Amino acid sequence: MALLEIRDLSTDIALSKSVVHALDHVSLHVDAGETLGLVGESGSGKTMTAMSIERLLPPGGHITGGEILFDGEDLVQLEEPRLREIRGGDIGMIFQDPMTSLNPVIPVGDQVAEPLMLHRGLSKAEAMKRVVEMFGLVGIPSPLQRTRDFPHQLSGGQRQRVMIAMALICQPKLLIADEPTTALDVTVQKQILELVDRLRQEFHMAMILVTHDLGVIAGSADRVVVMYAGKVAEMADVHTLFAAPKHRYTDALFEALPERAAGTGERLYSIPGLPPDLVEPPPACRFAPRCRFAVDACRAQVPPMTRINTPYGPQEFACFVPRTTPLHEPEPMDLRTVVPEVARVEPAEVGGRGWVAPTTFIPADGVPILQVQALVKDFPVTAGAILRRHVGDISAVADITVSIPRGRTLGLVGESGCGKTTLGRLVVGLDVPTGGKILFRGRRISQLRGREAKEGRRNVQFMFQDSYASLDPRMRVRSILREPLDIQHVGTPRDRNERVDELLAAVGLPARAAERYPHEFSGGQRQRIGLARALALQPGLIVADEPVSALDVSIQAQVLNLMKELQRDRELTYLFISHDLSVVRYLSDVIAVMYLGRMVEVGPAAEVYSHPQHHYTRGLIDTIPIPDPVVERQKAKLGVRGELPSAMNPPSGCRFRTRCPMAQDICARVVPPLQPGGGSEPMAAAEVEAAVASAAARGTVPHMTACHFPINGHSAADTLVEGAVSPVA
Amino acid sequence: MIGYILRRLAQSILVVLVVTVIVFILLHQLPGGAARAILGPRATALQVAQFNTANGYDQPLLIQYFRQLGEWFTGNFGFSIKLNQSVSSLLAQRLPKTIVLSLLSLVLTVVVAVPLGIYQAVRRNRTFDYVATGLSFIFYAAPTFFIGIIMIEVFSQNLGWFPPEAPQSNGVGPIFEQFDAMVLPVVTLALLSIAGFSRYMRSSVLDNIDQDYVRTAQAKGASPQRVLYHHVLRNALIPIITLLGLSLPALFAGALVTESIFNFPGMGLLFWQAAQSSDYPVELGVVIITAFATVAGNLLADVSLAIIDPRVKL
Repeated sequence: MALLEIRDLSTDIALSKSVVHALDHVSLHVDAGETLGLVGESGSGKTMTAMSIERLLPPGGHITGGEILFDGEDLVQLEEPRLREIRGGDIGMIFQDPMTSLNPVIPVGDQVAEPLMLHRGLSKAEAMKRVVEMFGLVGIPSPLQRTRDFPHQLSGGQRQRVMIAMALICQPKLLIADEPTTALDVTVQKQILELVDRLRQEFHMAMILVTHDLGVIAGSADRVVVMYAGKVAEMADVHTLFAAPKHRYTDALFEALPERAAGTGERLYSIPGLPPDLVEPPPACRFAPRCRFAVDACRAQVPPMTRINTPYGPQEFACFVPRTTPLHEPEPMDLRTVVPEVARVEPAEVGGRGWVAPTTFIPADGVPILQVQALVKDFPVTAGAILRRHVGDISAVADITVSIPRGRTLGLVGESGCGKTTLGRLVVGLDVPTGGKILFRGRRISQLRGREAKEGRRNVQFMFQDSYASLDPRMRVRSILREPLDIQHVGTPRDRNERVDELLAAVGLPARAAERYPHEFSGGQRQRIGLARALALQPGLIVADEPVSALDVSIQAQVLNLMKELQRDRELTYLFISHDLSVVRYLSDVIAVMYLGRMVEVGPAAEVYSHPQHHYTRGLIDTIPIPDPVVERQKAKLGVRGELPSAMNPPSGCRFRTRCPMAQDICARVVPPLQPGGGSEPMAAAEVEAAVASAAARGTVPHMTACHFPINGHSAADTLVEGAVSPVA
Repeated sequence: MIGYILRRLAQSILVVLVVTVIVFILLHQLPGGAARAILGPRATALQVAQFNTANGYDQPLLIQYFRQLGEWFTGNFGFSIKLNQSVSSLLAQRLPKTIVLSLLSLVLTVVVAVPLGIYQAVRRNRTFDYVATGLSFIFYAAPTFFIGIIMIEVFSQNLGWFPPEAPQSNGVGPIFEQFDAMVLPVVTLALLSIAGFSRYMRSSVLDNIDQDYVRTAQAKGASPQRVLYHHVLRNALIPIITLLGLSLPALFAGALVTESIFNFPGMGLLFWQAAQSSDYPVELGVVIITAFATVAGNLLADVSLAIIDPRVKL
């Protein structure tokens, strides 16, 4: 018998004027000891399903029908006191953001002890003893001291370990993990997922893993439930789902992944439009308006669940026109019926003159758009009671040299805290460097004054990560897009208004968008507005800081496609900053990898990705979850271990040595030079210049690495030894 | 922690010094100077000159300031001719009574406003919440003197529960002996701050109740009461502490009106009477004391914030 069985669960959320039908007849089950992956985009109902199980719904939320059988009890009907015994006792939960999910004013030890005192009736002292054991089990170093710490004193990874300890302290039968690693760095994500998996087996728990990340699902889940617009779209074991998805939504999700087109750089498939508004959900198939294969039946009636048997077990899907071939075999094109109606957006009417030039005004004269030379940025740290003494520096950017050819994309990757965002801010001029030079077309912007400085700023624009926070909520889109033009006195007021219309057309938004406010748009649309604003002054270079990391896969594909198109049409140059190596790989010509302020590897994207020379790059690539269960499970033991050390007193020599499996004495003593092929002996400057020049002739950069013992060409999987470094230095 | 307090103390002293400079300048802006104020408009020029020489008002401003400063810091705030008493002895009599009045009303504020705000937040948008919100707005908007008069009318004249006048005795002890006479002044003074603080508390609890850590506590199986008192309350109090410290000077100012309504012989009444009779030395003494209270309230708020919120680094 299943441990948890959800039957026809429907949940509503009452808002002040309307009711959102968040879940509609959801049925699924979890067997004892298995991991069920619950996957879908934002608004699909995956989190709502997880929250309904323990009736932890947001204000206004209530279950309107169905039953949730857990160990023979119906949680929907259960009295509150009995339900509270199950919460934290028989079912543990882990949430997305460990910073906000922990109480900021209570020591973490007390917070972890709370379920034991509530459910097991232990005294505080007994409970704390168990907490210390548990902290050891989840890999928190010096557990006794840590129990007295407050959440803000721990790193993100440690906080999530605390959350895990709290969820598991009563040894529950079921663990519900809601996006447990979304707020964490990719290297920490892998460690946390492995930890959860190990403890799950140790404690013989079942788990529901809620995530939007197909790569995480591929590595961790046994069975997968795909949700769309509050309904279950498809349900199958992980191998069947990734090899032969049936539902058209699942199919489209896979096609939208940047990994699929990483090598070719071809246009990603982006699901047009947006998920439906669940106040009034579409009457028939909820995906039909966005589906390429929809037939009349899809718009007339709700598709029933079809059940087929596969070698791995049953596969269920609610689709009238399921995919006919496995994922790796293309389907005949004639199956596609129509362009979905939502895909037809009427672009803004473009005025008489084509004011937005198809190309930028930057001539193709071989001068690199951007040259960064020996750039250093230190943030001073002060301490002391009365006189604020300068006690040290956070070395955010240390001696970075890089350049971008015109019309290309430089992808900058690294964990949070590696200095990639600081580098972006320095390039745009939002921060002043401590040392080194930033040349834009051979000129130092920071040394321009007055009019020249103002015009110099036009050439470099910024695109922000959080499209909501970076648009003034009280300005209409027209004012937002006009502001840069007004500041720079571009054309007449009439010209500027026309320019706004053209910009909206260029980013695929309708003309009437100009009169609306930012909150009226979806995340993807707002990011288009952010891109339009960056484009307003026809810059040569756009610094895009994590522009798609807050977006769902299908929306992410729309924005990536748009960025690529605009680059082609206008010869834009991008400095693309992201922690997501697969997105960087898709968009970039050159990849630069940063670690703790230093550039450890740079080179042509395909080469860096397929033949990484630095152990950090190699580890990063291994750490990224790949949406393929076969591959993902094979590389289970590889990756970067531990956490990023403090940039306040970075390790001597090679900054990566504390986490590097190959570290030797020399790594602690000598800073490895960044040069073609790596190695300890600095090459002659002329040799490096020759390599740069010959690469520049081919329109790219040489593959350079800063490592004493680089990985030479071949796969280094065999050189990586698990546990070579302790998890925390 | 100690270093932080020392630094804040140093800042506070600076603020108090600035206040003394302003007060000193005000003193010299008096029409006709201190001599005219004290000797009256009919004094002859000779009398004024004699007065100025006797009191050192003919010396350079800077010297006058430092002399004045020295006297203020040794507790000499001058002499009230109207009351025929030194200002410091007047303050020593009156200040403790005002402190008692303010503290009692502060305690009443906290005791009523915090639970009220919590209860309103828990029962948000129900009848009780609406009624309490409506009353809050009324008391927040009504002037203190109006509330005071209504209180006297209802509870003293009509119902006869409490005397209309505050205890008249000198010293703090007798206040507590005639405690029924203190009820109306304390309640009048507290009503305004209860109205304000219950609103702050309500929104602070509401801000916290939607936080992720509350959901975590619920997922651990904590009861609603435990969630509220063990998890939410401490977080919700953090902004309230700061506001309480900042409200100290407002309480002093409120005491001024309240004391004059109930004829409570405290510092506020002293100030009120001094203002009416142009008794400048008394007024200046009260201003400096109030400045001191403001600075002390701020310091107190910062230190208690650091105690309750571990994230605040001192």
